Amino acid sequence: MEDIPAVQINHLVKEFPSPFRKTKIRAVDDVSLTIMPGEVYGLIGPNGSGKSTTMKALLGLLRPTAGSCYVFGKNSLKTDSRQEIGFLPENPYFYKHLSGEETLRFYAKLCGMRGKALNNHVDKMLEMVSLQDARKRRVGGYSKGMLQRIGLAQALIHEPRLIILDEPTAGVDPVGSREIRDLIVQLKDKGVTVFLCSHLLEQVQEVCDHVGIIFNGKIVKAGPLEDLIAIEDQTEILIKDAGPRTLARIKAVIADSENADFISMGKPRTTLERLFLDEAKKSNATTMTADQKGGDRA
Amino acid sequence: MKVFYFLGVFAVLMLAASFFEMPWSRTTEDSAEQELIVLKSTAMGAMAMFSILFAIAATALLIPKDLEDRTLYTILSKPVPRLDYLIGKLAGVLILVTVSLLLMNGLLSIILHFKTEELLLVEMAKAEAHGWSAEHLELRLSAVAQQGVTWTLQAGIGAILFKAMVMASLALLISTFSSSTLFTIVIAVVIYFMGHFTEDARNYWLHSQSGGVSKEVKLMTQGIALIFPDFQLYNIIDSTIEGKKVPQGIFTRLAILTLFYSGIYSVLAWFTFRKKEF
Repeated sequence: MEDIPAVQINHLVKEFPSPFRKTKIRAVDDVSLTIMPGEVYGLIGPNGSGKSTTMKALLGLLRPTAGSCYVFGKNSLKTDSRQEIGFLPENPYFYKHLSGEETLRFYAKLCGMRGKALNNHVDKMLEMVSLQDARKRRVGGYSKGMLQRIGLAQALIHEPRLIILDEPTAGVDPVGSREIRDLIVQLKDKGVTVFLCSHLLEQVQEVCDHVGIIFNGKIVKAGPLEDLIAIEDQTEILIKDAGPRTLARIKAVIADSENADFISMGKPRTTLERLFLDEAKKSNATTMTADQKGGDRA
Repeated sequence: MKVFYFLGVFAVLMLAASFFEMPWSRTTEDSAEQELIVLKSTAMGAMAMFSILFAIAATALLIPKDLEDRTLYTILSKPVPRLDYLIGKLAGVLILVTVSLLLMNGLLSIILHFKTEELLLVEMAKAEAHGWSAEHLELRLSAVAQQGVTWTLQAGIGAILFKAMVMASLALLISTFSSSTLFTIVIAVVIYFMGHFTEDARNYWLHSQSGGVSKEVKLMTQGIALIFPDFQLYNIIDSTIEGKKVPQGIFTRLAILTLFYSGIYSVLAWFTFRKKEF
């Protein structure tokens, strides 16, 4: 692993002037964080907590009032630091008159790509985000999920080592949301560093290995996800096909123990999202089978 | 694409103007020239109006629209220097204005050519009917041909483009610090009108100072003249409509002046935009 952090934010402070007041609004207050290459870092917090401001400072779209931001050792205010960054803003819109393919070509050219390399990358990205069928369609006619996916493709077009995602699944249906999360996992497997901002906690828990919690512009908790969410003095045991007698014996063993206390026992539950996705999959499979039968009869 | 709807309107306007006959048509000796002048005046008036309106409105919308759609974030988060972004946007507007003016110019030239040919034949018929001398006919034909498709006319259309270039760069400068598109458009239009009185105002003010003016005051007025472009210098458009010849030197000076104004405004725009926060 490289020694240079993918992201280094040192005591970042960002204040905005407040109209009709002498005092300034402090959106980010002494935020420091380090993300090493290959990590998936989730910055979570409520709306207005300073997540997007932190991201914008990292992208050089805002100038820090105090502190500094570095991307792979380069100051984020310098244009060349953006060579390593791919960014997907919240609810992105692109030039409506361009097709998906033209949009990617435009962004690839902005990154200095030309010729065969550009064509190959555009094809690769369209395939990766499953938009080959819609490549010639105007972006103005894309659904929310498709916009998000083309947004992700433009962010990745120049193969950046760091990808910054601001609420990547905002307003996207559960199936689209799952696809985006799968893409993030793919990126993680490829060693791309991901910096993700979201207030959808379940989503962050699924993909991130490091988390920072931000409230009123301050990082209140940060660290590896497993360490943060583990309840140190409790142990979870999952047993399959255990009968009432087995369970009663386990309870008895715990009751006999000197220090351990029995807290609860029950059936683990799936998430509503998983239930929805399973049902959607089944429904699709049924429709396809019915179509096939219809086709055979014809 | 909506830009090109205007070209359709322009084409209809041109065809209507080419069939339009003045009330005094073909009654006075110079009526042929007058018809051509009316045609050129209609066309070039429409070209000037389109190019100025488009240069101001389209440029004023560039940055706010990109910001509203968050396209600006995706562009500036790529390794794109802010100067490149500004120049690219300005160049886009100017290319569109240039292409539109070229198309309109093409249409005007075709219609003007056929109209001139028709009027030359009318003049020759008149000469035969009235028994004009060869010199008189030559003089008339030359007077009519001078109002046709000439390099002078192209210089006038060039001046329209130059004016649009200055206004587009000025609108870009205003939009870099303006908080709304409406503000940008209003201020640009005000400066556009002020630009037509800059020279008169400066001359009047300098002459009203009875004891003469100091060097500092002169420098200050020159500075103000820089901020408010002097559009009276672009009055060659009116001369070209009337078929008067424009010396090449004046056209070249106008081109240099346009580059100077556009350059100054673009540099100032970059200066405010380079540290702008989004």
